Amino acid sequence: MLPLSYSLRNVAARPARSLMTAGVVALVVVASSLFLGLISSVKRTLIDSGDPMNLVVMRKGSDNDGSSQLSLEAYQAIRYFDGIARDEDDQPMVSPQLVVQPFFRTREGGRENVLVRGVDEMAFAVHPAVRIAEGRMLQPSSGEAVVGRGVLGRYAGAALGSELEFGRGRWQVVGILEADGASFESEVWVDVRELANDAKRPFPYSGIRLRAASPADLVALRKRINDDPRYALEAELETEYYAKQSESANTLYILVVGIAVLSGIGAGFGAANTMYAAVQARTAEIGTLRSLGFSRASILSAFQIEAMALSAIGFAIGAASAIALSALLRVLMGGVAFAASTFTTNVVTLRVTPSDLIGAFVLAMVIGLAGGFGPAWRAARMRPIEALRKG
Amino acid sequence: MSTDDTPIPVVAIRGVARHYVRAADDVQALRPISLDILPGRFVAFMGPSGSGKSTLLNIISGIDRPDEGALLVAGEMLNDLDEDELAEWRARHVGLVFQFFNLIPVLSARDNVALPLLLTKLDRAERTRRAETALRVVGLDHRLDHYPGTLSGGEQQRVAIARAIVTDPDLIVADEPTGDLDARNAEDILSLLRQLKNDFGKTIVMVTHDPRALRFVDDVYHLDKGILLEGEDAERAGAAIRMAAGGHVGGGGHP
Repeated sequence: MLPLSYSLRNVAARPARSLMTAGVVALVVVASSLFLGLISSVKRTLIDSGDPMNLVVMRKGSDNDGSSQLSLEAYQAIRYFDGIARDEDDQPMVSPQLVVQPFFRTREGGRENVLVRGVDEMAFAVHPAVRIAEGRMLQPSSGEAVVGRGVLGRYAGAALGSELEFGRGRWQVVGILEADGASFESEVWVDVRELANDAKRPFPYSGIRLRAASPADLVALRKRINDDPRYALEAELETEYYAKQSESANTLYILVVGIAVLSGIGAGFGAANTMYAAVQARTAEIGTLRSLGFSRASILSAFQIEAMALSAIGFAIGAASAIALSALLRVLMGGVAFAASTFTTNVVTLRVTPSDLIGAFVLAMVIGLAGGFGPAWRAARMRPIEALRKG
Repeated sequence: MSTDDTPIPVVAIRGVARHYVRAADDVQALRPISLDILPGRFVAFMGPSGSGKSTLLNIISGIDRPDEGALLVAGEMLNDLDEDELAEWRARHVGLVFQFFNLIPVLSARDNVALPLLLTKLDRAERTRRAETALRVVGLDHRLDHYPGTLSGGEQQRVAIARAIVTDPDLIVADEPTGDLDARNAEDILSLLRQLKNDFGKTIVMVTHDPRALRFVDDVYHLDKGILLEGEDAERAGAAIRMAAGGHVGGGGHP
């Protein structure tokens, strides 16, 4: 077989042509990495919001927090069901919540629906991933709010110490929420009773989040709630609930994959074109190698390795550019907003993760394989005498 | 073919012919030819352009195939081999020298010479050692790490000759080895080929237009329009070449 150095030195020996081919691949890598990063960020934001030990309890037939309503009696009844986890004070870990979706004014002057969640002090116990990163937790009945990291700075008044205006009142921002990138970071949390008064809802809650003591209790609790004829409620695993909410991202996902595949095909043609030109220019060299006794397989693999090396260079350039570009977008835009199925705005922090880069790497290698195979095959099947004459 | 007293030919050609189809024309490049080349001989094929000498050389070296006839080279009936078997056979038995050197531009002189050894089972150290020895034989042991682009034409052809001898082949085949060189380098290359024959007993088959070659070779075969000239025709062709060279070649014995 021809040495690896033969293929690699050929890449280095023609820098302009190599850079052009690698550049085409790099552009595809940048586009696909950013697209995949966006998709995985969206999915992560929504799906990671669910805790596998939690149940979401809503009125039967509701498909999200915002369209559900629940009475105080239902909450009181469920609160004392067996199998619910208890906190240090032996209180059941049940968090009644009220969700409203008022318009917030963005700093640019636009209007967006933001999910405002009314909670009580048990919310942090039920959602252990949520924490106050700056400031403090709100005090009940004092017109205070804590805002998610994604909301911060995006809307007028969404800053620590500022006042937010929504509903019928003003809300003092006293803390900033973080939740490892989950959708809670796109929410504003206030006291559940204050919010119910402000929104003048006939029912005080939209739903309940509760934490089961064990996986077996989780199953039993779900069945018991679903089978209870008194309140017509439905319990769903919180992970399933958020997975359903993320379905709105599936269209985007298909679109992104489609664009990535199309641009990959385009890059494949571009890479193949430059590789064909490279083969054409080296016909005599191929004839020489065949004359010296190198087999078709050696020539095929040498040219294929060259194409893969160009793709790998393209990937390296593209991946570095994608990481830099995503960081720049984070700084300039703060995050990417998209409408969830509830019409509220979720703010996603765009991050290109290693798994996104693996996806882009696979695409780059496929481009190298597919784009390089045609020229490599053409080179390999030349008879030495033809190659020497054409050269 | 051979008796007990005569050596077995390295090349035995029987009725070998070749034609090409070019733009709907059937070109008879080589009419049926038979000849033997004995071991240790330095043989030149000469003739005008289109005489079929390069076609014959390509067939002998196994990089082209005859349309008819039988061909026994280095003990192998080449007619029986497929493309990949031919490639393997070439790697083992033939050293090739081209007019335009045909070195690989991205490999150093040492790596170019070691290239055919990649097809053997030798380890890297032994391949390097043999490549350096071959370069020493052609007087280029001070240019081991130079790339073809940094070598003169004469030096490049020496590297190509080193590549041709590095596997110790039964046959060295050279196609116009002096065709792209100035007079001094051409003399040097012919002298080097002669030295390989004298010192190592190599069998060399060369195609050339160069009348200087007559001073270096053992046997000359003249071709014209695909026919191997014999008798008076061959004498006349030889005389014409000597005349064209101003009578400075031939008759002087081998260096």
